[in-house]
Order: sequence, then structure tokens, then C-alpha cells
Amino acid sequence: MAKQIFTLNVNGRDHEVYTEPNQSLLEVVRDELRLTGAKEGCGTGDCGACTVLVDGRIVTSCLVLAPDAAGREITTIEGLADGEKLHPMQQAFIDHGSVQCGFCIPGMILSSVALLEENPAPTRDEIRRGIAGNLCRCTGYRKIVEAIESVAGS
Amino acid sequence: MTTETRPEYSSVGKRETRIEGAGKVTGGAIYAADVQVPDMLHCKLVHSPHAHARIVSIDATKALAIDGVERVIVAEDFGQAVKDGSNPAIDASNRGAALLAHKQAVFTGEPVAAVLAETPSAAEEGVEAVEVTYEVLPHVLDLEAAMEDGSPLARPPVSDIDHSEEEAHVTLDVDTEEAEGKPTNVASHVSFTRGDIEAGFAESDVIVERTWRSASMHQGYIEPHATVADFKPATGELTVWAATQGQFMVRDTIMRTLKWPETKLRVIGCELGGGFGGKMTLNSPLVAALSVIAGRPVKLVLTRAEDITAAAPAPRAMINLKTGMKKDGSLTAIEASVVYGAGAYPGAPAAVGALLGTSFYKWPNLKADGYEVLTNHVSVGAIRAPGTHNAMHAVEQNIDEMARQLDLDAGAVRLQNVSQTGDPMASGQEFTKIGLDETVTQAIEHPLWKNREAAKAESTDTKMVGVGLAIGGWLGGLQPAAAEVMLNNDGTVNAVTGVNDITGTNTSFAQILAEELNISLDQINITTGDTKTAPFAGMSAGSKTLFTVGRALREAAIDLREQMFEVAADRLEANENDLELKDNAVSVKGSPDQSLGMDRLASMTTGFGALYKPLVGSGSIAARIQAPGFTAQLVKVEVDTDTGNVELKDFAIVQDVGFAINPLSVEGQMEGGAVQGMGIGLWEEYIYDDDGKLRNAGLLDYRMPTAADVPDIESLIVEVPSEDGPYGARGVGEPSITAGGAAIANAIADAIGARVSEIPATPERVLRALGTVGDGAEAAGS
Amino acid sequence: MRRFDYYRAISVDEAIALLNEHGEGGMLLSGGTDLLVQIKEAGLAPAYVVGLSGIDELRELRSNGDGLHIGAGVLMHEVASDGTVQAQYSALCDGAGVVGSRQTRNMATVGGNVCNAAPSADTGPPLSVLDATVHVAGGGGTREVAIDDFWTGPGRTVLDSEVVTHITVPAPPANAGSFYERHTPRQIMDIAAVGTAVYVELDGDGNCSQARIALGAVAPTVVRAPAAEAALSGGPITAARAAEAGRAAAGEATPISDQRGSAEFRTHLVEVMTTRSILHAAERAQG
Repeated sequence: MAKQIFTLNVNGRDHEVYTEPNQSLLEVVRDELRLTGAKEGCGTGDCGACTVLVDGRIVTSCLVLAPDAAGREITTIEGLADGEKLHPMQQAFIDHGSVQCGFCIPGMILSSVALLEENPAPTRDEIRRGIAGNLCRCTGYRKIVEAIESVAGS
Repeated sequence: MTTETRPEYSSVGKRETRIEGAGKVTGGAIYAADVQVPDMLHCKLVHSPHAHARIVSIDATKALAIDGVERVIVAEDFGQAVKDGSNPAIDASNRGAALLAHKQAVFTGEPVAAVLAETPSAAEEGVEAVEVTYEVLPHVLDLEAAMEDGSPLARPPVSDIDHSEEEAHVTLDVDTEEAEGKPTNVASHVSFTRGDIEAGFAESDVIVERTWRSASMHQGYIEPHATVADFKPATGELTVWAATQGQFMVRDTIMRTLKWPETKLRVIGCELGGGFGGKMTLNSPLVAALSVIAGRPVKLVLTRAEDITAAAPAPRAMINLKTGMKKDGSLTAIEASVVYGAGAYPGAPAAVGALLGTSFYKWPNLKADGYEVLTNHVSVGAIRAPGTHNAMHAVEQNIDEMARQLDLDAGAVRLQNVSQTGDPMASGQEFTKIGLDETVTQAIEHPLWKNREAAKAESTDTKMVGVGLAIGGWLGGLQPAAAEVMLNNDGTVNAVTGVNDITGTNTSFAQILAEELNISLDQINITTGDTKTAPFAGMSAGSKTLFTVGRALREAAIDLREQMFEVAADRLEANENDLELKDNAVSVKGSPDQSLGMDRLASMTTGFGALYKPLVGSGSIAARIQAPGFTAQLVKVEVDTDTGNVELKDFAIVQDVGFAINPLSVEGQMEGGAVQGMGIGLWEEYIYDDDGKLRNAGLLDYRMPTAADVPDIESLIVEVPSEDGPYGARGVGEPSITAGGAAIANAIADAIGARVSEIPATPERVLRALGTVGDGAEAAGS
Repeated sequence: MRRFDYYRAISVDEAIALLNEHGEGGMLLSGGTDLLVQIKEAGLAPAYVVGLSGIDELRELRSNGDGLHIGAGVLMHEVASDGTVQAQYSALCDGAGVVGSRQTRNMATVGGNVCNAAPSADTGPPLSVLDATVHVAGGGGTREVAIDDFWTGPGRTVLDSEVVTHITVPAPPANAGSFYERHTPRQIMDIAAVGTAVYVELDGDGNCSQARIALGAVAPTVVRAPAAEAALSGGPITAARAAEAGRAAAGEATPISDQRGSAEFRTHLVEVMTTRSILHAAERAQG
């Protein structure tokens, strides 16, 4: 259980990490780098709350060993806004009343952003399937779908 | 929907986005699991693998040898944490006091020891190394078997029942009889009667009698339970960061459990990742005690499997219901035996089920018995409108079936029979002003209901379409609340409450202040204080947050306004009655040049040598009049008769909210609750094996609806003002969950001509109802 | 998660060497979506873990006239979005496209799905009916194993301190079609209660000249349904003959009862889903 040193590039910055290798990317980002936007809702990849982007694609960071993410570009919710200007998806979630308790929201927004990268003009059904890996218990999803639709349409 | 004229409002009643939304979309909002304290120990729990077992011994030797493991705590240790040396865990018969199981474990997953370590991984390894010797005892899992004479007892007799979870949600005027005499698994019994049910059934043209079941379910919050406690031995101060719907309830529970003075206790309710009734006090007293014993900060975050297995799910119910109706659609009698499974500690909402299940229609004759039954399952807690969806599932299928058998319109039958303002509930208590009639009216005029025959005609050989309707509702909780509103030196306003904002209530609070002070939202800040800094407020539960704290804030705002007028009247040499608050200034009506800006006013109350006292408005209320909120929900389903899969095609929810202070967030409450109802109807259930071990303790097999599983929900707001709520508002959060399961069951019956008697209506249950699988008798289910 | 030693290999040879060097009890980590869950939730305690995600040679997905080469480390989303797979190996596209969530499909690998050997694996029945071969490398060299011989039980395979390097699938003729579907209560984010894959070839008269049918989640491994295949072969693919094959398949399933359904329910599903899958595969063959 020797600790390992490796470098994680998170939100455009390199972080040298010295940790036991059984740590998930989620644990390192949250507990070592103190970027607590990504959440642990299940630890088994079934809820999506820990979703981050790795090289532009969404993964559940609870199921990525941190050393495996070395050398890749990691984006967490903290890296999405441009200074004080929110990403259009973040703004849309506020404007459409898509946020209640907020626990799923960082992952949900990153999934939504990546969805539009892959499919800039999704149908409503494609949006619904595209965010199906992110559970939300508060909203019933409608206002989330509408927020994503508004960004896709703009 | 109401003919009453309502005043023109400047702020309340408008759609507003959340004033503090940015924190939650940027990852800045801090939840309990995000809290790190220097020198913090991590806690993991050792769980009983048996449903019922005597704890013979606990040997921590091997665990303590693991690198990083610091302490292993067992129930006997808690005397060290309690001020007077007593130990609440000894022979505890309430879950709240049973910090860890003492002498025996009464459900699979019950915590029996706590491992404290420097890292979560070390704590986890420590858990595996703790050696517990058990002597397995007979267990009881089946509700009917548990009620029989001679059944094994699920647990030692209960001394007194803690109904705080239920009471946090609803205020019931009901006497519950607790078990006395011979030990039994029936922890409590409640009974309501009216008229003569035999006479009622005798004059019925149709009688439907069936047993309906609904499963135990998780509240589904995405954030698992999390608590951090930090005891400082040098100062004696105990600080607790909790994922809770009610920080004052956590404070008071720790105070009672550990005999801890509240002057030395600060509970900080963090941002909450969903509660829905499931986030009360669960682990807070335990973690507080562990920190006191260890003399270091302690963090406990449940894994998802632990949270599903051993937190406090919503109960299952078994309801035997006999109802009668005449040919003209009028109801004759209802006889209900309502059994709720409490799990291994009492506290199930059997009284709610028996009461609400028999109160929403005008039953001339009724007999309802509610039983709370103990079994060796995890003890239950509250969920959004605790107990109600189980009862509505039963009642609404019976109503639907009676209408079908008499060839009556199931919508019209409901409208004909629903309770009205002033009608008695089963308990005899009269309904305050309610809008159930208006709610049902709007639902049955909706195209989804009107066009249901056309919808059925869309059916193919293997895809059967049906439309279902059901009603539900919630009486609403009551709890006192206070709030403070302060005028800042720049003329803006800060307010402090002690209620945890989960879904946007602070925005609605700001709207109330904006309304009363005639200022804009961006001039208002709402702070949720902690238990040392905020005035008391009840829990964010029971659909009462806005109903109670909103009223307190409104009073505080009015108080502040009056204080401002007092100063202004003196300065402007005017009569207070001639003043108005407008454009951030107090002015003499009709003389805008005679005016004092709010910033000027503030400086006159704070500067050196200022003549006037600081302006702090206070509001305190004790709400006494409930404002029940009702819903009617419509769903169109398509049933695949080959596979049993049910697809939800359309869904509409109609709900009387009294007055929608923020329609945007009201819709959010309606849509969210409706989707939880869909989960109840189709997917969500605890599945146990014969040994009482949960088989689906993860989010893959405990299936909550994803975005792909649910249709867009149409929300239709009805506004029949309540007597006592702010601007006529009613509680909004809870009614929305109560009818979906029943509406889906009715839609399935409409589609396939057979009824599932147990929800969720899984594909297998649908096929069994159809007789495609099995011998025609439905799956019993556990 | 409990602690373990972790070694990241950058070549297949290095991975094999690590397994040999550290001996018993090692586990291979590919996408992580199964292994890490088992370590966290199912009490799996590997003596050490060898990571494969840094091995470029496992990431190759290519096809030619002879067939398809899928590196063991190819991701589900790469398979599901590949034009050739979609057109010619459509059952595999169906399977890879429904694994978990979008996130899962960005992490999970075909090799991992095969080696995890879950009877409910969504690429299992498709690879079986497509007649895939598993290519294995170990200390003693390389070997090839027919996919149907690869699984020996739930979570068990023929691997012995070896690494799966790639999977090959022979190119189907133009008159072939394949289809996979699974039954889950939720639309996605779920595990198959039953999965059925069907591959058919049609001759010039429209008769079924070759049929392969595989069932998921109804036996200790993914299994073929030879009686159903025999019932379908040698005649036209009609609703009646598909139903007959469906009934035969139901007779070949040996499901258990668990939280995803009773044995009786699953047997019923095998019948109706096999029937439907045959008709869908035939449509594609005609396509």
C-alpha cells in the first residue's frame, strides 16, 4: 500500500498528489484538492453525482482510480465558469428553476454540457436519455430538461 | 380557480429564480460531507449481519492492530459521553436513543460498533476486523405472522413510543393506544368509528373488499446521511455539522440523549442534499457522542448501501379495505384495517394511514383500525406525507373499482363524494377551509381525463393504453417559528431564520420581505443561522416551512416597517398613519419631498450618538390552524402485455396550494413529488430475503426513476386560500407524492382490465395480474 | 475502499510479468465499473491490482473484410458509435449501447465486460451469437478461446494469470442480421433480468439457413439455445416459427429467482423476447 506520487491536471492546473493508490479520483479531488463540488451519492457509478469530465467525456469519478487519471485533462464543476461569468448551462439551470437541493446538480450540469458537445441539437428524448445516468430526486427532471433545451436552442 | 378577489401584490405570487442559485451550480455550496476539520477521525460502523441476534461478545483486538485505527466504540461506552454518566443505549427501545445496538441486534444492518480511524480506508478495514459473536434469535418478517398470537417477538417490549418523526410532519388530533399487557409485536393501535358500517354495507349496490399492499421504500435523497462532530475538551464546546432537515431537532435530541447543555452545543445545518422526511437526527447523537469520547472531531458519512439498508426508510403497508357504494354513486361505508410495518423500533404512521385513508371522502359510516407492527426490519422513518401514499393506493383503487362495477364515471364519483370545508375527518375533527372539490373539478376537466376513451383506442394487441386518476392530500404540520429582520446601514435588509432551506424557501422568504417592505429582491439577504445564532424555527418538513416561518418573517417585516415609521414620523413630524414605504424611503403620502431614505433611517439608528435604537424586526408565531393541501393526478400508461413493462406516457398533477408565493418553486415541488409517486407506482421497493437481508441495497436494483423513465409533467396550480397561511398559502411539498402510485395502479387497471394489488406494479406483478405468469394469483412479494 | 497495492502496466507483457511476479490473488483493472464496485460493496479483497488502462495496444478497434478486431480496452461507447459495428455487427452495438449510463460507457471496456463474466453482461449474448473468439496472452504465450467456452460460471472464466488482449468476430455475410434486447424495469441504468440475442442468415428463398440464439441472465453463464436455433433453421422466419423457437428457448433457460424477477417470470420473458428478437434480426437480415 505504498503511497504514490502523480500529477493530476484539474481545471487547467497541475496538482501533484501523494496518496495511497486505492483512492478514487473523486476522493482525491474532494479530500486532497478540496474541490468538493463533485459529490458522492453512491460510490458505485449508479447516481452520477460524482460526474466529472476526463478529456472532455463524462465519467463517474467514484469508479476511476486517481492514478489512472494522471496525464489527462480533468474538469470539475469548479472549472466550468469563466471567472464570475457562469457557463451558459449553469445560468440556464438557475433561470429555469432546475435546482432544488443541488446535490446532483454539479454532475448533472457536466453531463448536460458534454451531451451538447456530442450532440448539439438533441431531441427532448435524447436529452432525457443523455442525463439518465444522473439521478435527481427533487425536480422530477422537467425543469432540467428545459434548461438543457434552452442552451441547445440558443 | 377561486372566485375570491385577491389583493394586487408586488412580489409574492411572481415566478422568481433562486436568489442563492449560483452556489449550487458552481460547486460552492457546502454539504455536511464536504466539511473537513483538522485532526478529524473517520468513523465506519460495524453492522449486524443477522435480523435478530444476541450480541455475545465484541472483540476489537485485531481491528485496533490495523494501521490507522484509533478506537472501537461499543454501546457500553456511551456513559463516557453523557454529562450525568447515564447511558441512553442501554435497553433503548427507541431508535433515537439506540446509538449502537446493546445486547441484541434487531435488524440486519443495525450498527453494533463504531470504528474510528485516521482515514476512511483504515476505518473500513477496521470494521472487517472487529469480531462480533452473535447468538441468532428467531426473527419475524411477515406482517401478518407478526400480528398472530404466539409469534416470536421482534424485540424486547417497548417502553414508550417516540413519534417525533411523524409529528415533525403532521399535527394529529388523535389518541393512539400503546400496547399494554402481554408483549406483542403490535406496538400501537388507533381506531376511528362513525355510524353503523353494517347498515351502510346493507344498503350498498356494490361492495369491494380487497387487500392492498405497498412496499417499503427509501426517501431517495441523493446525499447519504453525513455528520461531523467536533468536541473541544478544553472548552467543552460541541459543534455538529449535520445533514438534517431540522437543526434545532438535532440540537434538542443531542441535548436529551447526552444531557448536553445547549449553551455548549452548536448545530450547523449544512446545505442539505435532499431529505423528504428521511433526514432528521439519525446519526447525529451517535457522532456527537463519539467525538466526546474520542476527544477529537469525528466524521461519519454513510455509504449508499448503509443508507438504504440501515437509515430509516418509509414503511410498507398492508391494508384490508371494504367499501360500499350505491348505484347513484353515493358512498355507504368503509371498513379499513390499516397495518404499517414499523421495523424493529416503533414509530410508523399507522394513525396517519387510518385517518387520512378514511377522511378524504364523505363516508357516512366508517370503521378504521390502524396497527403499527414490529418486525425484524430496519425501523422506519418519515417520507414526504408519511403513510399517505400507502393509504391512497388502497382507497383510490377501491373507489375506482366500485365505479367500474357500477359503470359510473370514476371522476364524477369522486367529485360527488369528496370532503368539503367543515366536513368531519374520521377523527371527528372538522376540515378547515379546503379546496379538494376545486382540485378534483380541474382534474376531471383536463383533456387527459376527458379523452381517455380515445386514448384507450390507441391500444394494439400487445400494447394496452389506459388512463388513471387518483386523489391525495396532506393535512400539514404545525410548529412555532421565529425570525428576525434587520435594517442595514445601506438601506438593505438582512434576515435570519433557523430553518434549513432545501429547495428554495429562502427565495420565497425574500419575496415576503420584498412585499412587506416594498423593496426589490436584490436588496434582501436571507441567512440561515445555526442553533446558536438563529431564532428558533421548526423543521423543514411537513409542508410547513413557508407556512410557519414565512408567517414569522412577514410579522418581522411588518414589525420592522412599523419601527421605521416610528422613527420617520418623529423626524418628519408626521403621523405614522400618513406614511408609506416606497422607493426605498419612508415618505409622507402625497408629499414625496417629505421623505427619509432607508439608508438615512438606518444611519440614524446606528451612528455615534444616534438618537434612535437599531431597527430589528421580530416575528414569532405559533400556527394553530392547519391548511390541508389536496391533489388530483392523472396518468396515461401503455402496458406491454408480453413483458409487463409499463410506460408512462403523460402525467398531470393538479394541486391546491392556497397561494403560490413563488409559482416556479411550487411547480418544482409538484413535479418532484409527482415523480416520486411514479417511483412508488412502478419501481421502488425494498426486497428482502427470508433471513431479513436486503437484496437490493444499491441504486442499480433500488430503482428510482431516471429522466428517461418519466414523461414531462404538467403542473396545474389551484389556489383556494387558506385561513392562516401567509397570503393564503398552504403547505406545498407533501401532497404531490400522495396520489401517483394510486393513479398509476388505476391506469394499469384501465389498460389491462385487471388490478395489481401490490405496488410498485413491477413487470412481474403486471403479468401475474394478467394471469400470463403464475396461476392467476398475484405474486405475494415481501 | 479498502487498501491494495496498485501497479499500472503500460504493455501486455508488463501486465503478464506483474501477475507472475506478484503471484496469487491479483486482479486486473480495466474500466473499473465492475471491479471497483465489487471491492467496495461485495467484499472482494484483491492482494494487488494491475491496471490496464495505460496499455495503448488494447485500445484498437478495426475491421476489414474478414471481420472485426476489438481490443480488450475498447470502450463501450466506441463500439456502440462505430459505423461498421452498427451496420454489420448490430447486436453488439445494441448490447454495448445499453450498458449502464453514458458515463459507464465512457469507462467500461468490452474486455472487462467479457472477463467479469456476469451472465447478465450486455455484450455477452451478442458476442456469442456473432461467434466471437477471445484472444488471450499469458506467460506461456497466446491462445484463442471460443466465446462460448470462455465463461465457466458466474464471474468465472478460463483465464489463468492471463490477459485478454482482444476479441475477434468474423464478418457476417450480407444476408445476415443480428439483434439484442434485454428486459429491465427502467429504460436504462439497469441490469438485464433477461437478455436475448439472435443472429440469422437468410438464403435466396428467404429461409433461415443459419440461426444462433443466446440468452443472458437465465443460467450461470450466457448460454446458447440450440433447440431454439434448430426450431428456427431451415424454414422461413414467420411469426409462428419465431414463437415456436421462443418456446423452445424458454425450455432451455434455467433461471434463478432473485431481486430482478422470479424464475417463472424470467422463463416467460425468454419466450416472448426470443420471439421478438428473431423477428427483429430477420428484419435486419432483409434490410
